[in-house]
Amino acid sequence: MFSALTEEQREFRELVRGFLAEKSTEADVRRLMATEQGYDPQLWRQMAEEVGLQGIAIAEEHGGQGFGWIELGIVLEEMGRVLLCAPYFSTVVLAASAIAESGDAEAAAARLPGIADGSTIATLAFPGENGRWDAEGVTARATREGGSWRISGTAPSTIDGHVASLFVVPARTDEGVSLFLVDRGDGVASTSLQTLDQTRRLAVVTFDGAAAEPLGEPSAGAATLERVLDLAAVGLAAEQAGAARAAFDMSVAYLKERVQFGQPIGAFQALKHMAADVLIEVESASSASSYALWAAAESRDQLPAAASLAAAFCTDALVTACHQNIQFHGGMGFTWEVPAHLYFKRARADEILLGDADFHRERLAQRIGV
Amino acid sequence: MSTVAVESDLDAVRAEAQDWLAQNWHGVDDPAWNRRVAEAGYAAPTWPAEDSGRGYSRAQARAVAAVFDAAGAPGAARELRGFHEYPWLELMGGPIRAYGTPEQKRELLPRLLAGEFGVGCLLYSEPGAGSDLAGLQTRAECDGDEYVVNGQKVWTTGGHLADTALLMARTDWDVPKHAGLSFFIFPMRQPGVEVRPIRQMTGDAEFNEVFLTDARVPAANLIGGPGNGWKVLQIALGAERRGMGEMAMGTAKTSTRPSLYALSDDLVEAARAAGRSDDPVVRQEIMRIHAWRLTNEWNNARALEEFRTNGASSLASLGKLANSRILHGAAALRYRLLGNRALQYDEAADDEAYRIDYDLMFAFINSIGGGSDQIQRNIISERVLGLPKGFEPDKGVPFRDVLKADATRSLG
Ligand SMILES: Cc1cc2nc3c(=O)[nH]c(=O)nc-3n(C[C@H](O)[C@H](O)[C@H](O)COP(=O)(O)OP(=O)(O)OC[C@H]3O[C@@H](n4cnc5c(N)ncnc54)[C@H](O)[C@@H]3O)c2cc1C
Repeated sequence: MFSALTEEQREFRELVRGFLAEKSTEADVRRLMATEQGYDPQLWRQMAEEVGLQGIAIAEEHGGQGFGWIELGIVLEEMGRVLLCAPYFSTVVLAASAIAESGDAEAAAARLPGIADGSTIATLAFPGENGRWDAEGVTARATREGGSWRISGTAPSTIDGHVASLFVVPARTDEGVSLFLVDRGDGVASTSLQTLDQTRRLAVVTFDGAAAEPLGEPSAGAATLERVLDLAAVGLAAEQAGAARAAFDMSVAYLKERVQFGQPIGAFQALKHMAADVLIEVESASSASSYALWAAAESRDQLPAAASLAAAFCTDALVTACHQNIQFHGGMGFTWEVPAHLYFKRARADEILLGDADFHRERLAQRIGV
Repeated sequence: MSTVAVESDLDAVRAEAQDWLAQNWHGVDDPAWNRRVAEAGYAAPTWPAEDSGRGYSRAQARAVAAVFDAAGAPGAARELRGFHEYPWLELMGGPIRAYGTPEQKRELLPRLLAGEFGVGCLLYSEPGAGSDLAGLQTRAECDGDEYVVNGQKVWTTGGHLADTALLMARTDWDVPKHAGLSFFIFPMRQPGVEVRPIRQMTGDAEFNEVFLTDARVPAANLIGGPGNGWKVLQIALGAERRGMGEMAMGTAKTSTRPSLYALSDDLVEAARAAGRSDDPVVRQEIMRIHAWRLTNEWNNARALEEFRTNGASSLASLGKLANSRILHGAAALRYRLLGNRALQYDEAADDEAYRIDYDLMFAFINSIGGGSDQIQRNIISERVLGLPKGFEPDKGVPFRDVLKADATRSLG
């Protein structure tokens, strides 16, 4: 049954929150988003070595902590709250879960320890050129040459594609959609993009006859990909729920502090009502995200519907919270100096990162049998 | 008046303009030419003669504009081109015409109409006085035939480029806040005016902080008399808000089809480009925005008519608020339709995506700038609907004793 967090999980949240509060301050975010890499390799190592964050949901036999999606969700929510600049979502949510979900024991044994100990940065090279976030969106092509595979194709907005050393690449083969692992090397090129959300980097990644290693059963590629995209949606929803709460906390603090007409602006009913409406969205986003995380951890038959619901709901909730946060801040909200725009840009980028809310609502309708 | 009478009357107007051009236009568009057009009353012919106009109807003014166009002469009938082309005619001209002394009108309006005030900016908002603009703390103190100005302004759009500002400053601290304000036409290019750019969420720096230290303005530039600034400002703010309500943003202007059909071609094209023009969700959304845009245009047209017949229009105060949802809604839809291209924000790499992302952010200028949507709602409910005002803790209290927001914050 879906339930509240346990005592241990709450303690874990405090631990992660404390760690990130210290390591990812607003000043750190602003500094890192202006760097070429977009993250701090030293902090990345500390995350792995001191708290074990990259391996939180990786099995102990592969060097991880052996926890599950609930704990991973806690980490993601806290990262969303501070807009952490790090290739965590790409490495841990996209790539590591693709490897784990593929059921490929050999690949898991070979690759997951590197992710868990922080030495590997990985990502999913997706969507393809058509921009679709489902198995039909696969445009890369893989062909067999003797005993080995080669991949060609372009992924135009690969998350952290500029720093990843390992790519999970969905590609079309004669057997259908299959997953492959590609190490950065000959035939792999990436170009960083100037992104709207500078706290999460994207790159165009091009494979031109790159050497590829099959991941899991070729015939299961499409099903694995769909599961990975659902898990990614759940992971993103957790980040969104955390970011929405942070943006809203900012709003409430400002409503109490800013004086106009001889009183704090929070005294105006217009703003009180706006704030109460945003709170419903923010709390509901937390609930939707929590349920989806629980489904990922404990109830896989509910995952597809829960993932789409959380994706659609948390997307809209975060956009609302960040839009209204700017509105609450008046002219201040329109400045670069106040972090409201950083949350707004994260919200808008997240909105289309894995398919927009309309797409997920339609999927939800199909998945609950409407 | 019969049609024949209107026509012969327009002929007379045309003939007079032609005569005047024959004597005055020598093919050189320079400051002296602009001054001559303004002094002849052709720069804003619908304005009355004492305001350097000719008291013409809009039809007569259009006839004048056509005569000038045919001769290749610029500068006529500027007031017909709308707020966005000549905002200064309304922002500065409105207050002078409503509250200026006869000498001020004679002195200032021809200069305004000839473009002699250069680039303008608005020195209204302060760090502590935004929505509560009447709470401003910049002081202007009389010193002979000048005022000495000290204080800090903020969000000054175009302040770094401006030659002239409209300045709101406090001239009396011992009366309630609205009563101690004065409205000035203020020269920006002088010692004591320091302009510091503020970076915006879009990445640009179009607005500024302005620090005023012993800056000077002639007393002759105080419009409406000391302590009457709030009343004078309402004219300028009204014009600004109406102007913001007119930003149509659709693409009907370049189409030959009526706006009923063409006003949302930009959104339809975006849906087609995304392969989603058959998607009922997208179609519903486009038509919702289409209706918002059209009704706003029609409201504006009715408002113009109300102004013409009654000299006032309550409809006009709705446009800016209506426009907020149009601008935010249309930008958000175009953004979503762009899909992952919109994740990039790089003018050189993808100009179209950059523009759409920019619009998505810039829509806040309408919902915050010129008075936020919440303030606009308050104004509509109080002034249009006559609903009672909310609690005003500073009512009747001398400004000196009112609780003020912190005015010392600097973004620099
Ligand atoms: C892009 C841009 C350009 C601008 N250009 C200029 C310019 O050129 N010159 C100039 O002088 N100013 C300019 N402004 C300033 C603009 O007029 C102010 O930002 C605006 O009036 C709001 O004031 P504020 O920023 O201090 O917000 P605040 O007044 O602090 O408002 C904060 C929040 O409180 C709400 N609020 C405040 N009072 C009430 C109330 N009574 N009831 C309900 N809600 C309330 C507001 O809606 C807002 O959500 C510009 C602003 C922007 C964003």
